[in-house]
Formats: sequence, structure tokens, C-alpha cells
Amino acid sequence: MHTPAISIEHLRKTYGNLVAVDDLSLEIQRGEFFGLLGPNGAGKTTTINAIVGLVKPTRGHILVMGLDAVRDYRRVHRLVGIAFQELILDGSFLNVREILIYQAGYFGIPPRRARAKADELLERFGLWEKRSAKVQELSGGQKRRLVLAKALIHDPEILILDEPTAGADVEMRLQLWEMLQDLHAQGKTILLTTHYLEEAERLCQRVGILHQGRLVSLGPPEQLARERGQAHLEDVLLELIRSERS
Amino acid sequence: MMGFLTLVKREVVRFLKDAIDTIAPPTISVILFLLIFGVGLGSRLGDVHGVPYVQFMTPGLILLAIVRNAFLNPAYSLFQSRWYGNIADFLVSPLSVEQIALAILLGGVARGLVVGALVLVAAWLLTGVAVAQPMWALGYALAVAVAFAGIGCIVGLWTRGWEGVGAIDTFVLDPLVMLGGVFYSLEMVRGVSLIEPLTALNPFTYITEGFRAVMLGGAEAHVLTGLVLTLALGAICVGAALALFRVGYHLKI
Repeated sequence: MHTPAISIEHLRKTYGNLVAVDDLSLEIQRGEFFGLLGPNGAGKTTTINAIVGLVKPTRGHILVMGLDAVRDYRRVHRLVGIAFQELILDGSFLNVREILIYQAGYFGIPPRRARAKADELLERFGLWEKRSAKVQELSGGQKRRLVLAKALIHDPEILILDEPTAGADVEMRLQLWEMLQDLHAQGKTILLTTHYLEEAERLCQRVGILHQGRLVSLGPPEQLARERGQAHLEDVLLELIRSERS
Repeated sequence: MMGFLTLVKREVVRFLKDAIDTIAPPTISVILFLLIFGVGLGSRLGDVHGVPYVQFMTPGLILLAIVRNAFLNPAYSLFQSRWYGNIADFLVSPLSVEQIALAILLGGVARGLVVGALVLVAAWLLTGVAVAQPMWALGYALAVAVAFAGIGCIVGLWTRGWEGVGAIDTFVLDPLVMLGGVFYSLEMVRGVSLIEPLTALNPFTYITEGFRAVMLGGAEAHVLTGLVLTLALGAICVGAALALFRVGYHLKI
């Protein structure tokens, strides 16, 4: 049996008295399209930031393809591409093409290959016409696509997407879904956080629902809905949140 | 290594692309010091320690340029990357935290040396000043740039706002450098209350005297004292910056 793409073991993260993630254990298999769901503040972003080393776990371990995310962070980073929820782009003095070329460089890709890879992604994500533009000149949708292209610049095996369609209009959301389905079809493992439940139902093979830092439900979306006698994940999530409150 | 070189290139391109804000103002202000205090008022002072005053002050002005620019580049670059969040680009790459720290530090060293070299060229054109020991002077300037770029890295990590960098520049670096023998030697202020003790107690005075001795030709003891102080400061500041990067201070939560 293959080593899981991501294995989270008893992850706990606290900020003072606030428990952001509480004893989370979870495995994501290679080639899986996995969704991490939950309301705001559920611990989704903290979890994915812990996978890429931006958050230091208070307790617990994370293994990526069998490598320790803290000890072997450099090798782990080669395997993972991350698109943050906030449109973080190094755009103060670099244009769109340069952003991708520099990002490739940080991953050790030589300049000629970096330029070729950047151009390929600019074409693929419909940004070629904007290659000389500054980030400030891009629309929200174009920035979103650039963030995704940046995450793919080193051709990672695992793609982590934090709310990839947040703020996107319907058309752009459909476009992004299509792109993500293509990437999954190419064999990428995808971990996506979202609070658009329709998105999870459409794209994800399995979902984990986080609430107040704890994993409260795990399984294929339709199974979770069926088991709880609900038509959609949205109803499952609402039921879970209400039962937690009562 | 490719990743490290890319980040060094980013740090250098960052200040070169914005040269009108990063290179021109400090170069012009130091050249104005040279013209007004050196060529202008200095002509009334005659020789100081065997050289015209304008030549006497040149090494101090070059150090002033190196110190401020080597400090400002990493301080602003790091804080800007933290502020806008693009520091994550480096932190999620396969670069080690030590490589990230050193690349940012080298950006500061490069800017310090570029501005220092421009001031030297301006001084040579205006006064004909020559460098007595060019290789030693370059090595000394490099050591000073590394030390102050290390301070820039620490401040860039520590500050929680843009004003933090400016505050360290205004309240720490400016007094340290201005009262550190840039415009005068310790002998020139013997018996002058307040100025003499402040200058004598200021370690930067001995760093300046050492650089002046290397540039204009002077006592080896001055060079040695200045160099030892610079290397010690560099070791402490670069070591502290690396330690902060390793623990993820203000980088990881």
C-alpha cells in the first residue's frame, strides 16, 4: 500500500487560550481530491498552513509522502504547491511573467526552463496577454488564476488550495472548477478548503468537516448526506453546527 | 543554490528597479555633505591629520552611506514582504531559512556597497581623494556592510510597523554614525564637553578611524581595532538574525 500523500496525526494548534485545531488526525491518499470544510474559524487554514510549515503545531505530526513536514520541510516543499486564500503576489516591482519566473527560481528551476514553464502556465491560465502587466492591473479573477499558476510552477504532486474560488463570480468559479478537475485528472493530489458546499460536492471524492478545530465528520460527500438523512452537504454541515451548539 | 541565487537577485533587482528612491537620495545627500562641509566649510579648516579636511571626512561619509543603505534594504524588504504576505513565497519554497536570511542580508550588502562606491567616485571627482589600500578598504567596507545588513534583518523581523525601521534609523543609527567620527576625529574634540565622552564611548568611532586609516593610510592599530569591532558586531548581528529566522520569529505562528 502506498504511503498517504498527507498524514496528519493528532495535530493541535493553540493561540493562547484559543484552540484553533484540536487533535486532528486525517489521511489523504495519493491522487485523491479531498475537501476540508467548515465555517469560518473552524481551523481549515491553520491546518493547511501547518502542512507547509507556516504554522508551528503545538502538538502532533504531519507527514507528506512519508516525510516529516517540520524536519524535512525543504523536501516537503518540493512536493507541495499552495494557493493561498489571500491573493499574495510579489507585485511591487515584478510583472506577471516575472512573478512566475522568480517563483520557479526559488524552487531551483534554471532560468531557461523557468521562462518556458512560466510561458506555458500563462497560456494555460489565459494570462498571456497580461504577462507584462503589474499585479495591480489585474482583475480579481486574473489574480486568482495567477495565484494558481504560481502554485503549479514547480509541477508539485500535491496541490493545496485555500478557498480557491472565494469572491469569484459564477463564470469564473466554473472555469476554476474545470481547471481543478483537469489537474486532478493528470494525477495531482488536491486538498481544497472551501465553504462553498456545492464546490465540495462537485469536486471532492472525500470531505472532512471541521468545526471548532475538531474533525466532526469524514467521508464521501454523498455518503455523509445519506447517513444523516440529508439531501446535501450543506444540510449536514448545518445540522452538525446546530448539534454542537445545543 | 539556484533558489538562493534567485532570491539574492530579487533583493538586488528590488532596489535597482527603484533606484530613484533607493540609490539616488542617499547618494545625493552624502555628496551634499561632501560639498558643503568638505569643499565649502572644510577649505577654511586647512589640513586635518596631514590631509585636507574634505579628504579627511570622505572615508566617514562612505561609511555613512554603506551603513545606512546596508541597514535599510533588508529592514524594508523583509518588513514589506511580511506586511504584504509574500514572504510566504520564500517560506513555502525549498529554500532553507538560513538561505532566505543570507539572501536578504546580501541584498543589503549589495546596496550598501553600490551607494558607498558612488560616493567614492563622487569624492574622487570632487577632491581627487585616492584609496591607499584598495583591497583592505574593500574588505573593511564589506565587513561593515554585512554587520549593518545583519541589524537590518533583525529590525525587519522585529518591527510591527513601517515606523519601526525609521525609528531605528533616526534614533539609533544616525546618532551612532554622526557621533562616530564621520566629521571629526577623537583628537579634534578633546576637552569638548559632552561630545568627547559620547564619541569616545561610541564603538563606531573606532570603526570609522580604522576605515580612515585603511583609505588614507594610517596607523595599523586603528585598522586592527576597527576591524575587530566590525567583525564582532557582524558576528553578533548576523548570528542573531539567523537565530530569529530559525525560530520563525514573526514569520511563523
